Amino acid sequence: MKTIDFQIRRQDDPYSPPYWQSFSIPYRKGHNVVSALMVIRENPITQEGHHVDPVAWEFNCMEEVCGACSMVINGRPRQACSTLVDTLTQPIRLEPLSKFPVIRDLMVDRSRIFSDLKKVRAWIEIDGAWDIHQGAPRVSPEAWKENYLYSRCMSCGCCMEACPQYGETEDFVGPASLAAVRLMNAHPTGQYHKAQRLHAIMAEGGLSDCGNAQNCVRVCPKEIPLTTAIGELGRQVTLQMMKDLLGKSE
Amino acid sequence: MQASINNLHFLLRRLHSLLGLLPAGGFLIFHLWENSQSRFGATYYNDQVVGWLQGLNYLVILEIFIIALPLLFHAGYGLVILSSGQGEWRRFSWLHHRLYWLQRVSGVAILLFLLFHVGWTRIWAIWEPAIKLDLFGHMQALLSQPTIFLLYLTGLLLSLFHLSNGLWTMAISWGLTTSAEAQQRWFFFCTGLFALLAALGLHGMLGFVL
Repeated sequence: MKTIDFQIRRQDDPYSPPYWQSFSIPYRKGHNVVSALMVIRENPITQEGHHVDPVAWEFNCMEEVCGACSMVINGRPRQACSTLVDTLTQPIRLEPLSKFPVIRDLMVDRSRIFSDLKKVRAWIEIDGAWDIHQGAPRVSPEAWKENYLYSRCMSCGCCMEACPQYGETEDFVGPASLAAVRLMNAHPTGQYHKAQRLHAIMAEGGLSDCGNAQNCVRVCPKEIPLTTAIGELGRQVTLQMMKDLLGKSE
Repeated sequence: MQASINNLHFLLRRLHSLLGLLPAGGFLIFHLWENSQSRFGATYYNDQVVGWLQGLNYLVILEIFIIALPLLFHAGYGLVILSSGQGEWRRFSWLHHRLYWLQRVSGVAILLFLLFHVGWTRIWAIWEPAIKLDLFGHMQALLSQPTIFLLYLTGLLLSLFHLSNGLWTMAISWGLTTSAEAQQRWFFFCTGLFALLAALGLHGMLGFVL
Protein backbone atom coordinates (compact mmCIF):
# COMPACT_ATOMS: atom_id res chain seq x y z
CA MET A 1 0.00 0.00 0.00
CA LYS A 2 1.28 3.45 -0.88
CA THR A 3 1.83 5.51 2.26
CA ILE A 4 2.80 8.98 3.41
CA ASP A 5 5.62 8.77 5.97
CA PHE A 6 6.29 11.31 8.68
CA GLN A 7 9.03 11.88 11.22
CA ILE A 8 7.70 14.15 13.93
CA ARG A 9 9.66 15.84 16.69
CA ARG A 10 7.69 15.31 19.88
CA GLN A 11 7.99 17.05 23.22
CA ASP A 12 5.61 16.30 26.07
CA ASP A 13 5.84 19.64 27.88
CA PRO A 14 8.00 22.78 27.84
CA TYR A 15 10.58 21.27 30.18
CA SER A 16 10.97 17.70 28.95
CA PRO A 17 13.50 16.66 26.30
CA PRO A 18 12.36 16.26 22.68
CA TYR A 19 12.24 12.88 20.90
CA TRP A 20 11.32 11.67 17.41
CA GLN A 21 8.47 9.39 16.31
CA SER A 22 7.62 8.03 12.87
CA PHE A 23 4.11 7.67 11.49
CA SER A 24 2.63 6.36 8.22
CA ILE A 25 -0.79 7.06 6.81
CA PRO A 26 -2.41 5.64 3.66
CA TYR A 27 -1.66 7.75 0.58
CA ARG A 28 -4.41 10.03 -0.57
CA LYS A 29 -4.08 12.58 -3.33
CA GLY A 30 -4.18 16.24 -2.32
CA HIS A 31 -3.24 15.97 1.35
CA ASN A 32 -1.73 19.00 2.97
CA VAL A 33 0.33 18.71 6.16
CA VAL A 34 -2.57 19.72 8.42
CA SER A 35 -5.01 17.23 6.87
CA ALA A 36 -2.36 14.52 7.13
CA LEU A 37 -1.77 15.37 10.81
CA MET A 38 -5.54 15.03 11.31
CA VAL A 39 -5.38 11.50 9.91
CA ILE A 40 -2.51 10.69 12.30
CA ARG A 41 -4.53 12.14 15.18
CA GLU A 42 -7.48 9.82 14.41
CA ASN A 43 -5.24 6.82 14.91
CA PRO A 44 -2.00 7.81 16.65
CA ILE A 45 0.01 4.63 16.17
CA THR A 46 3.71 4.85 15.32
CA GLN A 47 5.38 2.84 12.55
CA GLU A 48 6.58 0.46 15.29
CA GLY A 49 2.96 -0.13 16.32
CA HIS A 50 2.99 1.78 19.61
CA HIS A 51 -0.18 3.61 20.54
CA VAL A 52 0.95 7.12 21.55
CA ASP A 53 -0.55 10.46 22.51
CA PRO A 54 -1.88 12.34 19.47
CA VAL A 55 0.45 14.99 18.05
CA ALA A 56 -0.35 18.51 19.27
CA TRP A 57 -0.18 21.36 16.79
CA GLU A 58 -2.06 24.58 16.03
CA PHE A 59 -4.20 25.50 13.05
CA ASN A 60 -7.21 27.68 12.32
CA CYS A 61 -8.03 29.10 8.93
CA MET A 62 -6.73 26.44 6.51
CA GLU A 63 -6.17 29.16 3.89
CA GLU A 64 -2.81 30.67 4.89
CA VAL A 65 -4.13 33.86 6.44
CA CYS A 66 -4.07 33.19 10.19
CA GLY A 67 -0.43 32.15 10.67
CA ALA A 68 -1.20 29.59 13.37
CA CYS A 69 0.11 26.41 11.71
CA SER A 70 3.75 27.53 11.23
CA MET A 71 6.21 24.69 11.67
CA VAL A 72 9.50 23.55 10.21
CA ILE A 73 8.68 21.17 7.37
CA ASN A 74 11.67 19.37 5.85
CA GLY A 75 13.94 22.03 7.30
CA ARG A 76 12.00 25.00 6.06
CA PRO A 77 9.66 27.18 8.13
CA ARG A 78 6.25 27.36 6.45
CA GLN A 79 2.50 27.02 6.91
CA ALA A 80 1.36 23.42 7.34
CA CYS A 81 -2.05 24.15 5.77
CA SER A 82 -0.70 25.42 2.46
CA THR A 83 2.11 22.86 2.19
CA LEU A 84 0.95 20.08 -0.10
CA VAL A 85 2.23 16.62 0.74
CA ASP A 86 2.63 15.74 -2.95
CA THR A 87 5.31 18.45 -3.29
CA LEU A 88 7.44 17.11 -0.39
CA THR A 89 10.15 14.47 -0.25
CA GLN A 90 9.45 11.68 2.23
CA PRO A 91 9.76 10.94 5.06
CA ILE A 92 8.34 14.38 5.83
CA ARG A 93 10.13 15.83 8.85
CA LEU A 94 7.98 18.03 11.06
CA GLU A 95 9.59 20.14 13.79
CA PRO A 96 8.31 23.00 15.93
CA LEU A 97 9.69 26.48 15.22
CA SER A 98 13.08 26.50 16.98
CA LYS A 99 13.18 30.21 17.86
CA PHE A 100 10.19 30.07 20.20
CA PRO A 101 9.59 28.09 23.41
CA VAL A 102 7.86 24.76 22.76
CA ILE A 103 4.58 24.22 24.58
CA ARG A 104 4.00 20.70 23.33
CA ASP A 105 5.04 18.79 20.18
CA LEU A 106 4.62 21.23 17.26
CA MET A 107 2.93 23.93 19.35
CA VAL A 108 5.09 26.90 20.27
CA ASP A 109 4.55 30.05 22.32
CA ARG A 110 4.76 32.98 19.93
CA SER A 111 3.55 35.62 22.36
CA ARG A 112 6.93 37.35 22.01
CA ILE A 113 5.89 38.47 18.52
CA PHE A 114 3.03 40.44 20.06
CA SER A 115 5.22 41.98 22.74
CA ASP A 116 7.77 42.99 20.09
CA LEU A 117 5.00 44.56 17.99
CA LYS A 118 4.06 46.59 21.06
CA LYS A 119 7.73 47.48 21.60
CA VAL A 120 7.97 49.06 18.13
CA ARG A 121 4.59 50.80 18.49
CA ALA A 122 3.04 48.86 15.60
CA TRP A 123 -0.38 50.42 15.87
CA ILE A 124 -2.10 53.58 14.74
CA GLU A 125 -3.63 56.02 17.17
CA ILE A 126 -6.95 57.09 15.72
CA ASP A 127 -7.99 59.07 18.74
CA GLY A 128 -6.20 61.53 20.96
CA ALA A 129 -6.66 64.68 22.99
CA TRP A 130 -7.54 66.42 19.72
CA ASP A 131 -8.88 65.43 16.29
CA ILE A 132 -6.03 63.63 14.58
CA HIS A 133 -7.53 63.93 11.12
CA GLN A 134 -10.65 65.20 9.45
CA GLY A 135 -12.53 62.90 7.16
CA ALA A 136 -11.12 59.74 5.65
CA PRO A 137 -7.34 59.91 5.06
CA ARG A 138 -6.41 59.72 1.36
CA VAL A 139 -3.74 57.39 -0.01
CA SER A 140 -2.54 57.31 -3.61
CA PRO A 141 -3.22 54.04 -5.49
CA GLU A 142 0.56 53.54 -5.82
CA ALA A 143 1.17 53.89 -2.08
CA TRP A 144 -1.87 51.73 -1.32
CA LYS A 145 -0.54 48.98 -3.57
CA GLU A 146 2.79 48.94 -1.75
CA ASN A 147 1.25 49.19 1.71
CA TYR A 148 -1.07 46.29 0.91
CA LEU A 149 1.92 43.95 0.53
CA TYR A 150 2.93 44.62 4.15
CA SER A 151 -0.63 44.48 5.48
CA ARG A 152 -0.76 40.77 4.59
CA CYS A 153 1.57 39.85 7.47
CA MET A 154 -0.10 37.26 9.73
CA SER A 155 2.63 37.16 12.44
CA CYS A 156 3.28 33.51 11.63
CA GLY A 157 6.93 33.71 12.74
CA CYS A 158 8.47 32.06 9.65
CA CYS A 159 10.73 35.08 8.93
CA MET A 160 11.93 35.04 12.53
CA GLU A 161 12.56 31.31 12.41
CA ALA A 162 14.78 31.73 9.32
CA CYS A 163 16.62 34.80 10.65
CA PRO A 164 20.10 34.05 12.05
CA GLN A 165 19.88 37.20 14.19
CA TYR A 166 16.59 36.20 15.84
CA GLY A 167 16.46 33.88 18.83
CA GLU A 168 15.16 33.37 22.32
CA THR A 169 18.34 34.89 23.78
CA GLU A 170 18.57 37.75 21.24
CA ASP A 171 17.05 41.22 21.53
CA PHE A 172 16.29 41.49 17.81
CA VAL A 173 12.57 42.05 17.16
CA GLY A 174 12.77 40.32 13.78
CA PRO A 175 11.71 41.19 10.22
CA ALA A 176 7.91 41.10 10.71
CA SER A 177 7.93 43.73 13.48
CA LEU A 178 10.19 45.95 11.36
CA ALA A 179 7.89 45.56 8.34
CA ALA A 180 4.98 46.57 10.61
CA VAL A 181 6.83 49.82 11.36
CA ARG A 182 7.25 50.37 7.62
CA LEU A 183 3.48 49.88 7.15
CA MET A 184 2.37 52.04 10.09
CA ASN A 185 4.78 54.85 9.17
CA ALA A 186 3.27 54.99 5.68
CA HIS A 187 -0.29 55.36 6.98
CA PRO A 188 -1.67 58.93 6.76
CA THR A 189 -2.68 58.85 10.43
CA GLY A 190 0.11 56.57 11.57
CA GLN A 191 2.76 58.96 10.28
CA TYR A 192 2.14 61.28 13.26
CA HIS A 193 4.04 58.78 15.41
CA LYS A 194 6.72 57.98 12.87
CA ALA A 195 9.53 59.43 15.00
CA GLN A 196 8.49 57.39 18.05
CA ARG A 197 8.46 54.18 16.01
CA LEU A 198 11.83 55.00 14.46
CA HIS A 199 13.32 55.71 17.87
CA ALA A 200 11.96 52.37 19.07
CA ILE A 201 13.73 50.51 16.25
CA MET A 202 16.92 52.55 16.75
CA ALA A 203 17.28 51.04 20.24
CA GLU A 204 18.65 47.60 21.17
CA GLY A 205 17.05 44.80 19.21
CA GLY A 206 15.96 47.20 16.48
CA LEU A 207 16.80 47.72 12.83
CA SER A 208 20.58 47.82 13.20
CA ASP A 209 20.56 44.29 14.64
CA CYS A 210 19.61 43.02 11.17
CA GLY A 211 22.53 41.15 9.59
CA ASN A 212 21.20 41.29 6.00
CA ALA A 213 21.22 37.52 5.56
CA GLN A 214 17.87 38.01 3.77
CA ASN A 215 16.48 34.57 4.65
CA CYS A 216 13.28 36.28 5.84
CA VAL A 217 12.17 37.39 2.41
CA ARG A 218 12.81 33.91 0.95
CA VAL A 219 10.68 32.04 3.51
CA CYS A 220 7.81 34.52 3.97
CA PRO A 221 4.63 32.60 3.01
CA LYS A 222 2.92 35.88 2.10
CA GLU A 223 5.82 37.02 -0.10
CA ILE A 224 6.12 40.28 1.83
CA PRO A 225 9.11 42.35 0.59
CA LEU A 226 10.71 42.31 4.05
CA THR A 227 14.18 43.28 2.85
CA THR A 228 12.72 46.26 0.98
CA ALA A 229 11.03 47.32 4.23
CA ILE A 230 14.40 47.02 5.97
CA GLY A 231 16.07 49.18 3.28
CA GLU A 232 13.28 51.79 3.42
CA LEU A 233 13.49 51.88 7.21
CA GLY A 234 17.27 52.21 6.85
CA ARG A 235 16.69 55.42 4.93
CA GLN A 236 14.06 56.61 7.44
CA VAL A 237 16.35 56.08 10.44
CA THR A 238 19.29 57.70 8.61
CA LEU A 239 17.16 60.82 8.13
CA GLN A 240 15.85 60.54 11.71
CA MET A 241 19.44 60.36 12.97
CA MET A 242 20.28 63.52 11.01
CA LYS A 243 17.23 65.26 12.53
CA ASP A 244 18.28 64.16 16.03
CA LEU A 245 21.92 65.09 15.62
CA LEU A 246 21.75 68.13 13.34
CA GLY A 247 18.22 69.45 13.67
CA LYS A 248 15.18 69.38 11.40
CA SER A 249 15.07 70.68 7.84
CA GLU A 250 11.77 72.49 8.21
CA MET B 1 12.38 60.61 22.68
CA GLN B 2 15.66 61.26 20.92
CA ALA B 3 16.50 57.60 21.45
CA SER B 4 19.10 57.80 18.72
CA ILE B 5 21.18 60.25 20.75
CA ASN B 6 20.32 59.23 24.31
CA ASN B 7 20.70 55.55 23.51
CA LEU B 8 24.10 55.00 21.93
CA HIS B 9 23.21 51.59 20.44
CA PHE B 10 22.21 52.96 17.06
CA LEU B 11 25.04 55.50 16.79
CA LEU B 12 27.64 52.86 17.68
CA ARG B 13 26.31 50.50 14.99
CA ARG B 14 26.37 53.29 12.43
CA LEU B 15 29.86 54.35 13.51
CA HIS B 16 31.01 50.75 13.11
CA SER B 17 29.46 50.67 9.65
CA LEU B 18 30.91 54.03 8.60
CA LEU B 19 34.44 53.37 9.88
CA GLY B 20 34.51 50.09 7.93
CA LEU B 21 34.24 52.10 4.72
CA LEU B 22 35.97 55.31 5.75
CA PRO B 23 38.73 55.34 6.65
CA ALA B 24 39.35 51.55 6.85
CA GLY B 25 38.07 50.57 3.37
CA GLY B 26 39.46 53.73 1.84
CA PHE B 27 42.86 53.06 3.34
CA LEU B 28 42.79 49.46 2.07
CA ILE B 29 42.20 50.68 -1.48
CA PHE B 30 44.95 53.28 -1.15
CA HIS B 31 47.26 50.65 0.36
CA LEU B 32 46.72 48.28 -2.58
CA TRP B 33 47.21 51.05 -5.14
CA GLU B 34 50.34 52.22 -3.34
CA ASN B 35 51.83 48.72 -3.27
CA SER B 36 50.93 48.01 -6.90
CA GLN B 37 53.93 50.29 -7.59
CA SER B 38 56.14 47.36 -6.58
CA ARG B 39 56.22 46.59 -10.32
CA PHE B 40 58.60 49.56 -10.83
CA GLY B 41 61.32 47.75 -8.88
CA ALA B 42 63.23 48.07 -5.61
CA THR B 43 64.86 51.48 -6.13
CA TYR B 44 61.68 53.29 -7.23
CA TYR B 45 59.58 51.57 -4.54
CA ASN B 46 61.99 52.28 -1.68
CA ASP B 47 62.78 55.87 -2.71
CA GLN B 48 59.57 57.18 -4.27
CA VAL B 49 56.77 55.15 -2.64
CA VAL B 50 58.08 54.38 0.85
CA GLY B 51 60.28 57.50 0.89
CA TRP B 52 57.30 59.77 0.08
CA LEU B 53 55.16 58.13 2.78
CA GLN B 54 57.93 58.38 5.37
CA GLY B 55 58.19 62.09 4.71
CA LEU B 56 54.45 62.80 5.18
CA ASN B 57 53.58 65.59 7.58
CA TYR B 58 52.20 64.29 10.92
CA LEU B 59 52.74 60.70 9.73
CA VAL B 60 52.43 59.02 13.14
CA ILE B 61 49.31 61.01 14.02
CA LEU B 62 47.77 60.10 10.68
CA GLU B 63 48.65 56.46 11.24
CA ILE B 64 47.03 56.46 14.66
CA PHE B 65 43.87 58.43 13.85
CA ILE B 66 43.21 57.34 10.27
CA ILE B 67 44.35 53.73 10.42
CA ALA B 68 44.87 52.28 13.89
CA LEU B 69 42.03 53.70 16.02
CA PRO B 70 39.20 53.37 13.44
CA LEU B 71 40.34 49.84 12.66
CA LEU B 72 40.53 48.93 16.34
CA PHE B 73 37.02 50.25 16.95
CA HIS B 74 35.67 48.47 13.85
CA ALA B 75 37.29 45.21 14.93
CA GLY B 76 36.37 45.54 18.62
CA TYR B 77 32.74 46.42 17.99
CA GLY B 78 32.65 43.77 15.26
CA LEU B 79 33.49 41.19 17.92
CA VAL B 80 30.60 42.55 20.01
CA ILE B 81 28.24 42.11 17.03
CA LEU B 82 29.66 38.63 16.50
CA SER B 83 28.35 37.62 19.91
CA SER B 84 24.78 38.14 18.63
CA GLY B 85 23.13 35.80 16.18
CA GLN B 86 23.79 32.23 15.14
CA GLY B 87 25.83 31.18 12.12
CA GLU B 88 23.43 28.41 11.04
CA TRP B 89 25.70 27.97 8.02
CA ARG B 90 24.20 24.65 6.96
CA ARG B 91 20.58 25.48 7.55
CA PHE B 92 19.89 27.56 4.43
CA SER B 93 21.97 27.64 1.27
CA TRP B 94 20.84 31.02 -0.08
CA LEU B 95 23.70 33.24 -1.22
CA HIS B 96 23.26 36.15 1.15
CA HIS B 97 22.83 33.84 4.12
CA ARG B 98 26.19 32.26 3.29
CA LEU B 99 27.72 35.72 2.83
CA TYR B 100 26.29 36.82 6.21
CA TRP B 101 28.21 33.94 7.77
CA LEU B 102 31.35 34.58 5.73
CA GLN B 103 31.30 38.27 6.67
CA ARG B 104 31.56 37.28 10.33
CA VAL B 105 34.16 34.57 9.85
CA SER B 106 36.27 36.79 7.57
CA GLY B 107 36.18 39.57 10.17
CA VAL B 108 37.92 37.35 12.72
CA ALA B 109 40.32 35.93 10.12
CA ILE B 110 41.29 39.42 8.94
CA LEU B 111 41.96 40.47 12.52
CA LEU B 112 44.37 37.54 12.94
CA PHE B 113 45.99 38.27 9.57
CA LEU B 114 46.46 41.94 10.44
CA LEU B 115 48.20 41.08 13.72
CA PHE B 116 50.71 39.11 11.67
CA HIS B 117 50.87 41.59 8.77
CA VAL B 118 51.31 44.75 10.86
CA GLY B 119 53.61 42.97 13.30
CA TRP B 120 56.00 41.83 10.57
CA THR B 121 56.18 45.18 8.83
CA ARG B 122 55.25 48.34 10.74
CA ILE B 123 55.82 47.11 14.33
CA TRP B 124 59.02 45.19 13.60
CA ALA B 125 60.40 48.23 11.79
CA ILE B 126 60.27 50.21 15.06
CA TRP B 127 63.19 48.10 16.35
CA GLU B 128 64.73 47.26 13.01
CA PRO B 129 65.24 50.47 10.93
CA ALA B 130 66.74 48.39 8.10
CA ILE B 131 63.20 47.25 7.22
CA LYS B 132 62.12 50.82 6.54
CA LEU B 133 65.18 51.50 4.42
CA ASP B 134 64.60 48.47 2.19
CA LEU B 135 60.93 47.59 2.58
CA PHE B 136 60.96 46.14 -0.94
CA GLY B 137 63.65 43.65 0.02
CA HIS B 138 61.86 42.82 3.27
CA MET B 139 58.58 42.13 1.49
CA GLN B 140 60.37 40.20 -1.25
CA ALA B 141 61.95 37.94 1.37
CA LEU B 142 58.57 37.40 3.04
CA LEU B 143 56.49 36.82 -0.09
CA SER B 144 59.08 34.50 -1.66
CA GLN B 145 58.06 31.91 0.92
CA PRO B 146 55.04 30.05 -0.52
CA THR B 147 53.26 29.74 2.85
CA ILE B 148 53.53 33.46 3.55
CA PHE B 149 52.48 34.27 -0.04
CA LEU B 150 49.39 32.08 0.45
CA LEU B 151 48.71 33.69 3.81
CA TYR B 152 48.89 37.14 2.23
CA LEU B 153 46.71 36.06 -0.67
CA THR B 154 44.09 34.72 1.76
CA GLY B 155 44.31 37.88 3.86
CA LEU B 156 43.94 40.01 0.72
CA LEU B 157 40.91 38.15 -0.64
CA LEU B 158 39.14 37.96 2.73
CA SER B 159 39.72 41.66 3.34
CA LEU B 160 38.36 42.56 -0.08
CA PHE B 161 35.38 40.25 0.40
CA HIS B 162 34.70 41.83 3.79
CA LEU B 163 34.91 45.29 2.24
CA SER B 164 32.74 44.50 -0.82
CA ASN B 165 30.08 42.60 1.12
CA GLY B 166 30.19 45.24 3.84
CA LEU B 167 29.57 47.87 1.18
CA TRP B 168 26.60 45.85 -0.06
CA THR B 169 24.99 45.48 3.39
CA MET B 170 25.88 49.04 4.31
CA ALA B 171 23.78 50.29 1.39
CA ILE B 172 20.73 48.54 2.89
CA SER B 173 21.47 49.58 6.48
CA TRP B 174 21.84 53.23 5.56
CA GLY B 175 18.89 53.09 3.16
CA LEU B 176 20.78 53.74 -0.07
CA THR B 177 19.28 50.67 -1.77
CA THR B 178 15.72 49.75 -0.85
CA SER B 179 14.12 47.74 -3.66
CA ALA B 180 15.24 44.19 -4.39
CA GLU B 181 16.26 45.32 -7.90
CA ALA B 182 18.44 48.12 -6.55
CA GLN B 183 20.02 45.73 -4.06
CA GLN B 184 20.76 43.32 -6.93
CA ARG B 185 22.34 46.06 -9.07
CA TRP B 186 24.43 47.20 -6.12
CA PHE B 187 25.50 43.60 -5.58
CA PHE B 188 26.83 43.45 -9.16
CA PHE B 189 28.72 46.69 -8.53
CA CYS B 190 30.22 45.36 -5.29
CA THR B 191 31.19 42.09 -6.98
CA GLY B 192 32.90 44.05 -9.76
CA LEU B 193 34.71 46.16 -7.20
CA PHE B 194 35.89 43.00 -5.46
CA ALA B 195 37.30 41.59 -8.72
CA LEU B 196 39.00 44.87 -9.63
CA LEU B 197 40.62 45.33 -6.22
CA ALA B 198 41.66 41.67 -6.09
CA ALA B 199 43.48 42.15 -9.40
CA LEU B 200 45.12 45.32 -8.09
CA GLY B 201 46.20 43.64 -4.85
CA LEU B 202 47.52 40.55 -6.58
CA HIS B 203 49.44 42.71 -9.04
CA GLY B 204 51.09 44.46 -6.10
CA MET B 205 52.01 41.18 -4.44
CA LEU B 206 53.44 39.73 -7.65
CA GLY B 207 55.50 42.89 -8.18
CA PHE B 208 57.64 41.96 -5.19
CA VAL B 209 58.43 38.41 -6.25
CA LEU B 210 58.49 38.41 -10.07
